[in-house]
Amino acid sequence: MKNILKGSIIFTLILLMYGCSQEEFMNPVPKTSLSDLSVFDNKTRIEAQVNGMYASLKSGQHLGGRFHVYNDVRCDNFIPKSTNLVTCYASWNHSVLAGTNEVQNLWGAVYSTVNVVNVFLEGLAQAWDEGKLTGVITQSEYDQYRSESYTIRAICYFNLMQMYSKPYHVGNGANQGVPLRIKAMKSAEENDLAPSTVAEVYTQILKDLNDAEPLAVASYSTDVLNTTRVHKNTIIAFKTRVYLHMHNWTQVVTESAKIVPAAAPYTSPAGVANTLHSDYEEIFRSPYTTKESIFSMPMTSTNNAGTQSHMAHYFGSGSDESYHLNLNDGYAFAALEDDDARKEMLYTHTDGKVFLTKWVDQATRAEWVPVIRYAEVLLSRAEALVRGGGGTVTEQAVNLLNAVRTRSLTGGDYDPADFATAQDFYDAVLLERNLEFLGEGIRNLDLMRLGLPIPGKSSPEMGTVATILTTGPSYIWPVPASELNYNNLMTPNN
Amino acid sequence: MKKILGFFSLLLITGSLVMAQTVQITGNVKGSEDGLAMPGVFVQVKGTTIGTITGLDGNYAIAVPSSAQNLVFSFVGFVTHEEAIQGRTRIDVVLKQDLYNVDEVVVVAYGTQQRRDIAGAITTVKGDAIRSVPVQSFDQALSGKAAGVSITMPNGVLNNPPVIRIRGFNSITSSSNPLIIVDGVPVFTGNVGGTAIQNALADINPSDIQSMEVLKDASATALYGSRAANGVIIITTRRGSGARTRVTYDGYAGWTEPYRMFDLMNPEQYFNHKNLALENAGSSARLVWPTDASGKPIETYWPDYIYQKGFQQSHSITASGSSPTTSYFLSVGYTDQNGMFKKNFYDRKNARMNLDHNLNKYMKIGASIAYTNGYTESPNTGASFATAGAARLAFVLPPIISPYLNDGSYNISGSGIGGMGTGLSASLGYHNPVAIFDLNQHTTESERLLATLSASVEPLAGLVFKTVYGIDNLAREATTFWSPVTGNGYGYNGLASNDFSRNNRWTWTNTANYNKTFFERLTVGLLAGIEQQRTVGVSWEGWKTGVSDPFFTQYQGSWSTAQIGGGGYGENYYISYFGRVNTNWNRKYYLEGSIRRDGFSGLSRGNKFGTFGGASLMWNISREDFVANSGINNIFSDIRFKASYGRVGNMFGIGNYSSLFLYSSSLYAAVPTLYFSQAGNADLQWETSDKYDLGLSFGILRDKIQADINWFYNDVGNLILNVPQSPSKGIPGNSIPANVGSMYNTGLELQATSYNIARPNFSWTTTFNITFIKNEVTELAPGVDELRATTGGLETTNITVVGKPVGNLLAVETRGVDPTTGRRIFVNKAGKEVLYSHEAAQRWTFRSDGSAAPAISIATDGVPWASPLPKVYGGLDNSVAYKNFDFAVNLTYSLGFYVYAGSKAGIRDQRWWNNSAEVAETAWKKAGDITNIPKPVWGDNVSNGSAMAISENIERGDYVKVRNISLGYAFKNVMPDVLNIERLRVYAQVFNAYLFTKYSGSDPEVSTNADSNLAPGIDRNTAPQARTYSFGVNISF
Repeated sequence: MKNILKGSIIFTLILLMYGCSQEEFMNPVPKTSLSDLSVFDNKTRIEAQVNGMYASLKSGQHLGGRFHVYNDVRCDNFIPKSTNLVTCYASWNHSVLAGTNEVQNLWGAVYSTVNVVNVFLEGLAQAWDEGKLTGVITQSEYDQYRSESYTIRAICYFNLMQMYSKPYHVGNGANQGVPLRIKAMKSAEENDLAPSTVAEVYTQILKDLNDAEPLAVASYSTDVLNTTRVHKNTIIAFKTRVYLHMHNWTQVVTESAKIVPAAAPYTSPAGVANTLHSDYEEIFRSPYTTKESIFSMPMTSTNNAGTQSHMAHYFGSGSDESYHLNLNDGYAFAALEDDDARKEMLYTHTDGKVFLTKWVDQATRAEWVPVIRYAEVLLSRAEALVRGGGGTVTEQAVNLLNAVRTRSLTGGDYDPADFATAQDFYDAVLLERNLEFLGEGIRNLDLMRLGLPIPGKSSPEMGTVATILTTGPSYIWPVPASELNYNNLMTPNN
Repeated sequence: MKKILGFFSLLLITGSLVMAQTVQITGNVKGSEDGLAMPGVFVQVKGTTIGTITGLDGNYAIAVPSSAQNLVFSFVGFVTHEEAIQGRTRIDVVLKQDLYNVDEVVVVAYGTQQRRDIAGAITTVKGDAIRSVPVQSFDQALSGKAAGVSITMPNGVLNNPPVIRIRGFNSITSSSNPLIIVDGVPVFTGNVGGTAIQNALADINPSDIQSMEVLKDASATALYGSRAANGVIIITTRRGSGARTRVTYDGYAGWTEPYRMFDLMNPEQYFNHKNLALENAGSSARLVWPTDASGKPIETYWPDYIYQKGFQQSHSITASGSSPTTSYFLSVGYTDQNGMFKKNFYDRKNARMNLDHNLNKYMKIGASIAYTNGYTESPNTGASFATAGAARLAFVLPPIISPYLNDGSYNISGSGIGGMGTGLSASLGYHNPVAIFDLNQHTTESERLLATLSASVEPLAGLVFKTVYGIDNLAREATTFWSPVTGNGYGYNGLASNDFSRNNRWTWTNTANYNKTFFERLTVGLLAGIEQQRTVGVSWEGWKTGVSDPFFTQYQGSWSTAQIGGGGYGENYYISYFGRVNTNWNRKYYLEGSIRRDGFSGLSRGNKFGTFGGASLMWNISREDFVANSGINNIFSDIRFKASYGRVGNMFGIGNYSSLFLYSSSLYAAVPTLYFSQAGNADLQWETSDKYDLGLSFGILRDKIQADINWFYNDVGNLILNVPQSPSKGIPGNSIPANVGSMYNTGLELQATSYNIARPNFSWTTTFNITFIKNEVTELAPGVDELRATTGGLETTNITVVGKPVGNLLAVETRGVDPTTGRRIFVNKAGKEVLYSHEAAQRWTFRSDGSAAPAISIATDGVPWASPLPKVYGGLDNSVAYKNFDFAVNLTYSLGFYVYAGSKAGIRDQRWWNNSAEVAETAWKKAGDITNIPKPVWGDNVSNGSAMAISENIERGDYVKVRNISLGYAFKNVMPDVLNIERLRVYAQVFNAYLFTKYSGSDPEVSTNADSNLAPGIDRNTAPQARTYSFGVNISF
C-alpha cells in the first residue's frame, strides 16, 4: 500500500510539472537574427542597415567581382585558361542562355540589393514619419542615409541595363528595359511586373541620383569612408557615366565640371578632393584609398567576394581558372608601350601567358575593387567636350586625355594636331579607356554605349570566338529564365 | 489539464493489494516438434513477478499463491502458452514452435497489440533479418523487406543515409522521410556529417534491434499526428528474456568494391579520338602523348587510384537474461569498415544497456541507455559537379597523363592536375585524386546518447500508468583540412575548418492505458496521453586560411587568417495530447479510433495547434459461423477485411522561425551590417495527408501462406511550397513558403509469406512483396505552373508540373544523330528539328533547310520527359534451412521508372575529358553512319548533353537486384563441457550480389540529390554502388 501511495505521489508531482515553461518553449525568440520590429530602434542598427545595402552591392555576383569580370571577359582582351562554365566560360564565348547561371545570378544579386534598399527606405521613411526616430538620428543623417540608398539603387539599375537591355542610344531608350521595382517587396504580392522601357529606367536612375545629390554629405571623416560610402562626388561621377551612356554630352560636361576644374591640376574643387593619383600601381595596393578611388568595394581576408568570384581568381596568375591577356595585334596588350606604367601591371608567367597584377592575392582575397575612378570622369569629360562641341578637338579635351595618359606613360602626350578627325580623338579616348581600365569592367560598357561590335578573339587552346555584331542575339544577355518563368508580365529582350 | 490530473490521481490511489497463501505446482515442459524436454523455459504466475525456469530435464516446481489463476510458459522461438491452473498441482505442457508468428506481438503507437488484432497497415521486419547484413545502418537493410517501403541507396559511399519512401513521395518541399521512433523516442535522422557523410541512424547498432515496425496508414500512424504523413518506423531494441544468461557474439569480416564501372577509352583510343576531334574542329593542334620515366607512353587507369577493395569487420557481443524480477540486455559493438573509395572509412563503437525491473507487483521501472561513437573519414566523393569529386575524377581524367611526374612528384599545376605537356591546358582544373587523397582530410565524429527511463504503475489489473522520459543527445564535429599544395586549399594557401553541432532533445511521454474484457467477448482498450518534446540545436563553425607551416593539418594549428565562421541556434517544442480507443467483439468486429492534438512552436502565435486523427474497422469473417460452417476455413483462415481513414500532418517543412520577418547581420568589410534576410509567412501550417486504406488479410492452408493486400489513397494537401517569387522582387531566397499545393499517392500493395516447407529439419520460406503506386501533383502555387530543380545548383534536371508525378526529369528532346551530317538532332519548343555544329560560326541550324535557328536552351525548349518514380517496386526473399545449413536470397526490384544518366553526358563530352570506349567505337565518322554518338568536335560540350540535359541521356531504370545472398552452417552444442556453445553458425554472404538491368550507367538505384523530392532520379557523376563479400559467425553460449 505504501508503495502505491509513493508511486501515486511521484506521478502526481510529475504531472504537475507539466504546466511549467510551456509558454516560453512555445514562443521561442530567434537568438541569431533580429525581428523586423526592432531594426529601427537605434542608430547603430540603422547605420548597420545602411552598411547592409553596401554589403549587398558588394556581393561577389555583382560589384564585388563578377560584374566586372563579365564586362571584361565577354569582350576582347582576355583568354580563359579553363572551359569551366562556373568561371564565366559561357560569357567569354557568348554562349550564355536564359538559363545560364551567370545570367540568372547577376540579375538575382542586383535585384536583391534593390529590394534591400527599398525595404530600408520604406522602413526608414515610416519610422521617421511616425516620429520614432526623434532623438535617434538627426535630419542630416536621415538625408544622408536616403542619398546613399538612392545612389545604390541607381547603380543597380544602371548595371542591369548594361547587360540585359539594348543600349540607350538604340532607339533613344524605346526598347525593353527591366522591371522597375521601387517598392519594398516583403510578401508574395506583386509577383508580376512588366518591364519598363530603357528610357523609363534611365529616368528613374537619374531621378535617384538627382534626388540623392543635394541630400548627400560632401565628405566623410576618413579616407576609408570616402572610398566606400557614397558622397556628393560619387553621385556626380556616376551621373557622368550615366549621361555618357545616354549620349547626353551637355550633361556630362555640366556634371563633370562640378568636380573637374577647367585646367590642370585636376583636383575636385568640391567635396572630397578627388584627383588622379600619381602612381598607377598604388591605386590597386593597400590601403586602396587614394583620392582617385571615388568609389570602391572594400575587401578583407574575412569579408570578400568569395571563391570563384573574387577578382584575383580571374585575373591573378595563380588560379587554374584565370584569364590571361589576348596577346594578338589589335588588342589592348599590343597597344601598351613598353614603358607604360600600366604595362608594369602585367606579369608574364613561365608558360608565356600574361596576366594582370591589379589583383593577385588568391589566398586572402582582400584586395579592393574599384567601381569608379577619377580617371574615368576625366576621360568621359574629354570625350563629351568634343562630341558635344560639334567635333572640335579642343586643347581642353586633349589636356584631360593627356592627364590620364601621361600619368602612366611619360612623354605620351597628344597634341590636338595629332587628331585629323574627331573620330581619331574618340578612338584615342576609347583606347586610353581600354588600357586604363583593363580588368575593371569598363570595356563592355564602352562598346555598348558606342554601339560597337564585340571583337572576336582566338587562342591556340581555346579556339576562335567570332565577332558579335550589334544586331546579333548575343550582343546583350537574355532575360533570365527564372524571371520569365515567374513574372508573367516579363518578356524576352530580343 | 487539471481534469486529466485529477483523473490520474484518483485512479492511482484506488489500487489495492491482496495477500494469500501458496500452493506448490510441479510439471514438465516438452517441445511439440521433437517431443524432447525443454530446459530453460520461463514459468510465471500470470500477472505477478513470481516465476521459475525448467531444469535440464524440462521439469519445474513453483510455489504459487492460492489466488493464482494461470501459469504462463515462455521460451524464445515458441508460442507463449497460458494454462489455467484450475486447482491442479501437476501441470505438463507442450510448447509449440512459433513458425507462423500469428500470435506475435506487434509494436504499435504507444503500445503493443497482437498481430491478429491490428486493423492498421503495419509491416514488421524482425531484427534477425538484418543482423548479419554488412551495412552501416539498419535502414540500408530494409530494402525490399516491407510492402510499400522503398529504400534507395544514393550511391556506394559508406554510411550514406538511404532515401526512405513509405507509400511514395508525400511532399514536395518538406521532407518525405518517415518519422523514426526508437524505444518510444523520436530520434534525429539524416546526414549529420560534412564532406564525410554520416547517417544519424547508424548510431543504432543493427545487432541491437529486436524489431522494426513500419506504420503506413492513418489508423496506424494517427497517434503521431503532425509528424505522421510520411509513415512511421518504430524501432524496438532487444530486451532480456529467459532465465538463463544468454551470451551471443556476432561478427563478420569481408571486403567491399565497386561494380559495373564505366568502360572507358584506353589511352590509345583516347589519343586517337581526341586528335580526330581536334581535326574535326578545324584545329591544327594535336595532342602529344607524354612518356614516363622509362620513355614509355603513359597509360593510366584512374579508377585504380581511386577505388580499392575495402576491408571491413564488425563485432557485437550481447548478454541477456532475466530473473523473476529483473531482465537485462547488454551489448557492445565495434564496426570498422573501409569503403570502396580509398580513404573512406567508418568506425563505430557502441554500448547499450536495457534493463527492466519489477519493483513490486504494481510498479515497474525500465531503462535503455545507448552510447555510440561514430567516426567517418572520406575524400570528397563528389556527386554533381565538384572538380574534387573522386567518382567523377575516376572517369573524367585523360588516360595519357599520370598522377605523378617523372621525378616522382605530384603532377599538379595550381589547384588542378597538370596537362603534362599533352598540349592540353597546363592545368586541367580537375584535381589530382592521388594528391588530394594524400594531402586532404575530411572527418566526422559523432557522440550519441540515446536513453530512456520509464516507470509504470498498474494499480488495477489492466490499468497502467506509464511515464517515459527520453533523451537523444547528438554531438558531432566535422573537420576539413585542405592542403595548400594543390586542390581546393590551393587558392587559400591551405584551409582548415571545424564544424561542431550539438542537438539535444528530450521527449517526455505520460500515458494511461486501460484494457479490459467485458462479457468475455467485448475487449476494450483505452489510451490517453500527453507528450512534450523540446529540441535545441546549436552549431558553430570556424575556419582558417593561410597555413603558416605545411606541418599543420589541424584547425588548432597555426594559420594566418581566422575567417568569420558560421553557426546557428535553433529550438522547437511540441506539446501533444492524444487518445485511442480500440475495441473488439469476440475478435470478430474491431473498431479503433485515435486522436492527437499537436502544438508546435514554429508556427505563428494563435496558429500553433492542430488536430489529427484516424479510425479503422476490421471484420474477421473467419470467425463468423456462416464461414466457419462453410468449409472455407479448410483453405482460408483468419480472413480479415479492414478499412481505415485518417488525417495526419507533415511538420518537417516548417522551420523553427518560419513565420517571422527577420534581419541578419554580417559585415561590409570591417563594419557590421543588418539586412532583410527572411520574408516570413505567419499563416504557415502543417501539410495534411488524408489517408484512405482498404485491406484484406488471410491465411491459406492453415496459415501456410499468409497474405496482406492493401489499397491506399493518400490525398496530400496544404503542401508547403517555397512559392517562387520573380527574382526581380529581390525577396531573400527568391521564394516564400506557403501552404498551397496538393498531390496524391495511390496504390496497391501485397505482402505474402509462404511457409513452403516447415519441417524440423527442412524449412523453406518465401516472402514476397510488391507495391504498385501512382503519384500525381494536382496543384501548385497560384501563378506557378512549374517548379524546376537543379542538380548541384548548376544543371536544371527536374521539373514538377500539375498532372504529372513530382520531380519529372526535364530534358530537351533529341532524336539521335543525323546520318548525313553526324550532328545531334535537337527538337525545339515548336517541334522543329535543329542541328548543332560546335565548330561553325552559326552553331544552330534547322535540319530542314540549314537556315539559322535560335539557340536551344533547357529554359525554353526543355520538356518534362519521364518520371523517375517507380511504378512498381518490392522484394522477394527466400530462405531455406536444411539440417544445419541455411541459405537465403533477397531480391529487390523497381520497375517502370526513368533515370537521368547524367554521367553519360560527361563520358561523351568532347572537351579533353575521357570518354567511354563506346564513343571511340561508334561515333559518327562518315555520311550514312547510323549511330547515336555525333561527330566528335573538340570542345563540343553541347551535343552530348553537358550544357543542358537531353533526352538521349534519359534511360529506363528498371532493375532487379540480388541484394543479399547468404549461406550458413550451424553447429549445435559445441564442446558443451569446455565452451558450452549452444549454437555456432558460420556463414558467407554477398551484399549487392548481382544487378539485372538494361541501364547503361553504373546502377539505376541512385540519387545524386540524396533525398530531394524535387530532383530525384539523377545519376550525375555519382559514385557507383558497392558490392560486399563477408564471412561471419554467430555464436550463442
